[in-house]
Amino acid sequence: GDSKRFTSDTSSNSGVEQAIGCYDTPVQELIVIDDLLSALVGIEGRYISIKRFHGKEESVTFQVDPSMDLALQELAKRIFPLCECFLLIDQFVESSSQFKNGLVNHAFAAALRALLLDYRAMVAQLEHQFRLGRLSLQGLWFYCQPMMGSMRALAAVIQQASAKHFVGSGVLNLLQSQAKAMAGDNSVRSLLEKMTECASNAYLSILERWVYEGIIDDPYGEFFIAENRSLKKESLSQDSTAKYWSQRYSLKETIPGFLANIAATILTTGKYLNVMRECGHNVQVPISERSKLTIFGSNHHYLECIKAAHEFASKELVTLIMDKYDLIGRLRSIKHYLLLDQGDFLVHFMDISRDELNKKVHEISVEKLQSLLDLALRTTAAAADPRHEDLTCCVDRASLLTTLGMHKDPDSNSSIEDPVSITGLETFSLSYKVQWPLSIVISKKALSKYQLIFRFLFHCKHVERQLCGAWQIHQGIRSMNSNGTAIRRSSLLCRSMLKFISSLLHYLTFEVLEPNWHVMHDRLQSTKSVDEVIQHHDFFLDKCLRGCLLLLPDVLKKMEKLKSVCLQYAAATQWLISSSIDINSQSHSQKTMIRDATV
Amino acid sequence: EESEVTEEVLVRDVLYACQGIDGKYVKFNSEIDGYAVVDYVKVPRGTRTMVRMLSELGWLFKKVKSFVSESMDRFPGEHVGTVGQAFCAALQDELSDYYKLLAVLEAQGMNPIPLVSESATSSCYLSLRRLSVWFAEPMVKMRLMAVLVDKCKVLRGGAMAGAIHLHAQHGDPLVHEFMMSLLRCVCSPLFEMVRSWVLEGELEDTFGEFFVVGQPVKVDLLWREGYKLHHGMLPSFISPSLAQRILRTGKSINFLRVCCDDHGWAGAASEAAAASGTTTRRGGLGYGETDALEHLVAEAAKRIDKHLLDVLYTRYKFKEHCLAIKRYLLLGQGDFVQYLMDIVGPKLSEPANNISSFELAGFLEAAIRASNAQYDDRDMLDRLKVKMMPHGSGDRGWDVFSLEYEARAPLDTVFTESVLSKYLRVFNFLWKLKRVEHALIGIWKTMKPNCITSNSFAKLQASVKLQLLSALRRCQVLWNEMNHFVTNFQYYIMFEVLEVSWCNFSKEMEAAKDLDDLLAAHEKYLNFIVGKSLLGEQSQTIRKSLFVLFELILRFRSHADRLYEGIYELQIRTKEPGRERNKTQESSSWINEGRKAITQRAGEFLQSMSQDMDSIAKEYTTSLDAFLSLLPLQQSVDLKFLFFRLDFTEFYSRLHSKGKES
Repeated sequence: GDSKRFTSDTSSNSGVEQAIGCYDTPVQELIVIDDLLSALVGIEGRYISIKRFHGKEESVTFQVDPSMDLALQELAKRIFPLCECFLLIDQFVESSSQFKNGLVNHAFAAALRALLLDYRAMVAQLEHQFRLGRLSLQGLWFYCQPMMGSMRALAAVIQQASAKHFVGSGVLNLLQSQAKAMAGDNSVRSLLEKMTECASNAYLSILERWVYEGIIDDPYGEFFIAENRSLKKESLSQDSTAKYWSQRYSLKETIPGFLANIAATILTTGKYLNVMRECGHNVQVPISERSKLTIFGSNHHYLECIKAAHEFASKELVTLIMDKYDLIGRLRSIKHYLLLDQGDFLVHFMDISRDELNKKVHEISVEKLQSLLDLALRTTAAAADPRHEDLTCCVDRASLLTTLGMHKDPDSNSSIEDPVSITGLETFSLSYKVQWPLSIVISKKALSKYQLIFRFLFHCKHVERQLCGAWQIHQGIRSMNSNGTAIRRSSLLCRSMLKFISSLLHYLTFEVLEPNWHVMHDRLQSTKSVDEVIQHHDFFLDKCLRGCLLLLPDVLKKMEKLKSVCLQYAAATQWLISSSIDINSQSHSQKTMIRDATV
Repeated sequence: EESEVTEEVLVRDVLYACQGIDGKYVKFNSEIDGYAVVDYVKVPRGTRTMVRMLSELGWLFKKVKSFVSESMDRFPGEHVGTVGQAFCAALQDELSDYYKLLAVLEAQGMNPIPLVSESATSSCYLSLRRLSVWFAEPMVKMRLMAVLVDKCKVLRGGAMAGAIHLHAQHGDPLVHEFMMSLLRCVCSPLFEMVRSWVLEGELEDTFGEFFVVGQPVKVDLLWREGYKLHHGMLPSFISPSLAQRILRTGKSINFLRVCCDDHGWAGAASEAAAASGTTTRRGGLGYGETDALEHLVAEAAKRIDKHLLDVLYTRYKFKEHCLAIKRYLLLGQGDFVQYLMDIVGPKLSEPANNISSFELAGFLEAAIRASNAQYDDRDMLDRLKVKMMPHGSGDRGWDVFSLEYEARAPLDTVFTESVLSKYLRVFNFLWKLKRVEHALIGIWKTMKPNCITSNSFAKLQASVKLQLLSALRRCQVLWNEMNHFVTNFQYYIMFEVLEVSWCNFSKEMEAAKDLDDLLAAHEKYLNFIVGKSLLGEQSQTIRKSLFVLFELILRFRSHADRLYEGIYELQIRTKEPGRERNKTQESSSWINEGRKAITQRAGEFLQSMSQDMDSIAKEYTTSLDAFLSLLPLQQSVDLKFLFFRLDFTEFYSRLHSKGKES
């Protein structure tokens, strides 16, 4: 009977119905339940319609025919929020399944879809109850209760996510913070945590590839590590301001909360693996069943996995750099040449290159110096060092002081004018070819610090040699009676100058360079990661620079002055001695003449 | 219920619509491009919407189905290919799952829907709302398939697999799983192609779907041009470097088979397959196992390339041939070159058209017999030939003579015609340099100061004697200068160019892992020599000035020859009067005119000689100056060391600066 009456009531098929008010309340209730079951899956019924607002935020409200029984109206309206939530979530699922929205959104949408499927099944069950005549409006409200809270919470999350167009870690962070905010409501909290887990699975698979293989497999740019492909590894050994190591891979702004504390570790882990791959060693962190990353479950297991991977990667890389590429040997070889601990080579080189180095800077032929350097390397003990071929020479244009000024403050463009008469002795320095991956540690910047020390030492050595020459000349005329002459005074001066310069050299080499080198050497033996190696090496260099007074321009200026006085003196000695010998021999011959005459 | 039609009927119609069939009330409406309840029946608004939503599945199904049947109709065809076929088969599989679901639903749809008033008959019935639960998963899959069908309509082969792969980058586990199984089917033909290419060198690609394409070429071009990568067909899950390795491995097999006539590769291939874990049979690889593929390719490439290099090195003696070329074409075998120059020299001074190449071949053979070259491998010596280049009317033998080395398969892949022509250019250059050196050494023999020359001038008049001595001195000084230049230049060529590059080349040859490496190393070697020997494009001007110097030195040689001839004659004349006056009284005019005339003649001769010498010396100085000034300007080649050697005592730079000042 009911169905017949229903059919006759329908005035048209286009959905324009008679006002619901003309039915009895029990009939009205049946119609409203049927409409509500439609509305629960987002479909307009006969007397319930959807109104969409196209404002700043798209919003949807359900409306009910005003002629309905007021009590029924109120009952129906209570359920509307659930319908609105459904519509919102359904829309979100549709839109975020699109490819461009990223893996996290896909996974999140998939989890939501599974939830909505449960919801639809529930609606179908309710419909079954309704068809059996066992569902009242009150009953419907009761059955909807469990869904209400979770759907609302999800809708709130989704509203935020879609308003701000979150992708990747943004979504994960939002879900987590919401889960924490809903800590009081156990069911909602666990639902949101489950959502987070589902959504993070896709993210964690990206993370796994990075942490275990050093590869960024991130088709939609969601991962929190960015790769800057424009920075080339070759720049490390060419450009002193190269940022390869620090900026080739960098952290983005949005990092998922659960990884925030360990993000730096993750970054370095992948970076180390990547370095090894660039060297042609395909190293992968051994993966066991346990190392599959999951956020939830056994408390913070993933953190341990990441730490284990980090330890493995840094150990592998350090062994690679230390053993295969022999970093310490390399550093020792640099020390031989640039920190002057290979004496015979240096003396020989200074002997043969004296004329060339005495020229003005722009007149020096670097090729000639290079061939002299090769000669010196091949004929001295340095030939035994297999790496001596990596040594090249270069001649700077500016004096040490100017270079230091620029080194300290690279922006100021040589405010101090160089004296024109600057010679090769002051600007000559050695350079060392360093290949990847050692250029991570011995970068151009580190090498330039070595060069600064070298230039200072080299010049001191030069001054010392000149003074030694002067001393030798003095020794040659010791037998002569020089009491009261300038020679006696000059001899004293020579000794005090020599004392000064050799004390200085002794201080520089034995009290600054050697101890610091040993400290670094010991530390390098026990390092666990390349970053530590870099840190120790840089620390060593800075300490040496400071110890060599190179960071104190005032003292250094005085030092330069002293050295130039020494040089002037050494040059003058030659003249002094030869002229005094002349005088001496003249007076001597006069004496003999007188003696002859008397005889 | 208020509708004209019962829900059972609508459900049945929807099920029909989902198979692309118009039902009684639910029909395809082309206006809205989808299935909908026909307008004339009265159904509530909600039901209408519901039907419309559910029957979207039908619309998607129709799209997929039509693609599948269209493609199937064209089997086997160029447009579909095996990958397309596999794609269709995979779709068909999915569709049959779908049919199964529909059958189950249809059976459920037979049960009547209970009405509010009636008591329940069965709980197993279908309403539209229940249908929406059933349809949730097929809808996702069908949508995905429709998207793929849209994308893949115009694609085939590797491009199709690549396009599908791009769609597999999805975070939804369901989608991901589905795409994985789909891709496993779709890519199986591709992987089969890779397998057979990498392990057997066979291009099993009837429809042009593989990312390696072959084209028929001559045997010597097989390596360089025989096979190419077709980037359009390269799916994105295979990295370019991997593709390159795949290409090279198969190419190596083909090269071994065709050019080297070798069968040992099969052993290497099966070894590789065994090592990588997959057997050589079909279907060993699949999508998603990129590591396995990479492993297989790496193993195969390693072994096959090693085998190829082994064959080239041991059976075809590549290294020995390179060395032979260096020794004969790049004049590394000194005694041979010296002897050849000695015997061939006089002949080459004749006009080119008087020289027969048979005669020269004879000389070459003689030079080989007379030098240590005779102990060399006969096979290599046989390949050494004399080549006469096409010559014009005024050419001399020097201009057209050259040696060539015959490269036979498979070495002609390395020594192609362009490579050999480069060698030829280098040879000509070195030969020219050698000739100049030879000329200078030759003249030294006559110029050598000895007692005969010094004693005999005692009787000469003082003024003539002075003139003679100054001419001789001039000659010596100029010779020394030229010799310094030539010696240093030759030192540069031999030790800084040839030996250094050979050393590098040998190292790279040792390190070469495949034929491409070897080719690149050889190319580098040859280009280094060509560039450093000033034969490159950029060093044309300096080359010209170098050749001017060579010309001058040759001119100097003939001039000095004449001078010394004159001196010897003079010597003889001045000696003769004492002993042999009577015999040769009438023979020479000089004698008749007496001593005075001899002196006069000698004076004139020496004067003209020293004038010529002056002009040569002047020209030489200017052109050497030009050459030296060009040296530092060379940007393409680093010649600073040569400059440094030539000007070691800074003689020239001082001369230059003095010239500037004055």
